[in-house]
Amino acid sequence: MTATATPTAAHRSRVSTTHRLTFLHLLRSEVIKIVSLRSTWWSLGITAAISVGMSLLVTAVARDLDGGYPAISAIVVPTQFTMLVAGILGAIVVTGEYSTGMIRSTLTAEPRRGAVLVAKSIVVAAVVAVTTVVVYAASILLTAPLVAQGIDWTTPEASTVTLAWGVAAMAAFTLIGVGFGFLIRSSAGAIAATVGVLFVLPIVFTMFAFAGESWRWIVDAAQYLPSNAAATLTSTGVDDRLPSVVALCGWVAGPLVLGWIALRSRDA
Amino acid sequence: MIVAEHLTKRYGDKTAVDDVSFTVAPGRVTGFLGPNGAGKSTTMRMIVGLDRPSAGHVTVGGQDYRRLRSPLTEVGVLLDAKAVHTGRSARSHLRAMAATHGIGRARVDEVIELTGIGSVAGKRAGAFSLGMGQRLGIAAALLGDPHTLILDEPVNGLDPEGVRWVRQFVRHLAAEGRTVLLSSHLMSEMSQTADHVIVLGRGKVLADAPLSELVRTWTATALVVRSPRLSELVDAVSAPGVEATALEPGAARITGATPAAVGDLAASLGIPLHELSPISGSLEDAYLALTGEAVEYRTKEIA
Repeated sequence: MTATATPTAAHRSRVSTTHRLTFLHLLRSEVIKIVSLRSTWWSLGITAAISVGMSLLVTAVARDLDGGYPAISAIVVPTQFTMLVAGILGAIVVTGEYSTGMIRSTLTAEPRRGAVLVAKSIVVAAVVAVTTVVVYAASILLTAPLVAQGIDWTTPEASTVTLAWGVAAMAAFTLIGVGFGFLIRSSAGAIAATVGVLFVLPIVFTMFAFAGESWRWIVDAAQYLPSNAAATLTSTGVDDRLPSVVALCGWVAGPLVLGWIALRSRDA
Repeated sequence: MIVAEHLTKRYGDKTAVDDVSFTVAPGRVTGFLGPNGAGKSTTMRMIVGLDRPSAGHVTVGGQDYRRLRSPLTEVGVLLDAKAVHTGRSARSHLRAMAATHGIGRARVDEVIELTGIGSVAGKRAGAFSLGMGQRLGIAAALLGDPHTLILDEPVNGLDPEGVRWVRQFVRHLAAEGRTVLLSSHLMSEMSQTADHVIVLGRGKVLADAPLSELVRTWTATALVVRSPRLSELVDAVSAPGVEATALEPGAARITGATPAAVGDLAASLGIPLHELSPISGSLEDAYLALTGEAVEYRTKEIA
């Protein structure tokens, strides 16, 4: 009776009938899932290292620019690089379930697939958002001794608002990865799509700058790519953020809706 | 209670499950038996809503699985031992599964103890042996103390102790009035575990009957007769429908006659009998007779 107890032991404490599947329970399950994987901590650790490191570097360089560079920009500018890690984390949180077969356990525990997609999206976006807040706080503290003129907290436009958009953008990049994860299912494919949209497309669009005036509209359209929209949102002194917000929301909604359609209609 | 009606699954022009109807009743162990590729796993995936049927439908406890509001306490599922993230520890996997229904740590610890994986519960599931993976899968299926258990090849990879445990365990659960459906391609296992057998072959139901009836219907009962005057006896019993084949000098295999008839005949003729033993067929004989034509991947007969 050591390795395997008597059959009656199965019902020693009968599972109460009050145990029910609820969305809050589902969120809790997704939190347990994400914090119990090493890949999550690797991703978040890399994000933190890149972000804090680059902020320090940019601050050090900006010191020689005679204060022409706002201190807040040094904090949010690494987002242009950490976005890739956020997107990849979003993708592998989903594709890891497909490659290991875990998705079948997930979908038998919660057969309403839309709820699974929403719960996963909320949790992984929240994890990245919280990490970004912590990372920004660390960067601000660590760069403070280096800057001549610190962040002007009395002007929200040049402080809290900018940081908040940085956090939102990181969450958005993560969700793009989640959407591609559900749509494509394979890690390699989902990561390629995410990196393509976040990193490669802006480069491709920029190339059209040499293509003459008739291609000008493509160069103009580039500002609505997710990374460029996020760059606009986290800049200081932007008058109208709405177009960038709409663009970024569209880039999040697109893959997520396609992923949801794939999740609903395809066999798991 | 699981009720499948005209369940069909097509992949392109290949039909994996073809108009399958059956009922899995509570209070007994129902075995799903069939060669590889017969459609057992596909049918099970359709029962739990992972695959959408091309036609027909299936209900668990009268409801579509996708509509269950508390799936884990209704149905315990072991589809294959690999439905676990390899990077997560067994305990974390079970905790995450349990959390979806608000099932606490106490129950997680219970199923870990019950399935005997306590010593490896902190290890990454990717490092598990096949047998340990099976135990983890069974632990997950038991989390919600479900009314219905659907286990795909539960003894696959288990050591003899584990095989016996699973057998006793599912019999116990059925005795409590639960519905148990388990698949296997292992005849010996099925004959010791199942009360009722559904045989699948090439996506169709070939038989759906109590185990004993299945064996009786699909195997011929034979007699082994040994006698110093065998040829006289064989001549005497010969009748339409009775067949005798020589096994070795002085021994023959007779089908189509009861032991009583042969014994009485021998006594009336004064023929001494050294052996008169009935040989009943096994589930394996019945299975092979049933699936002879329906094997997807046929092996070449060894000459």
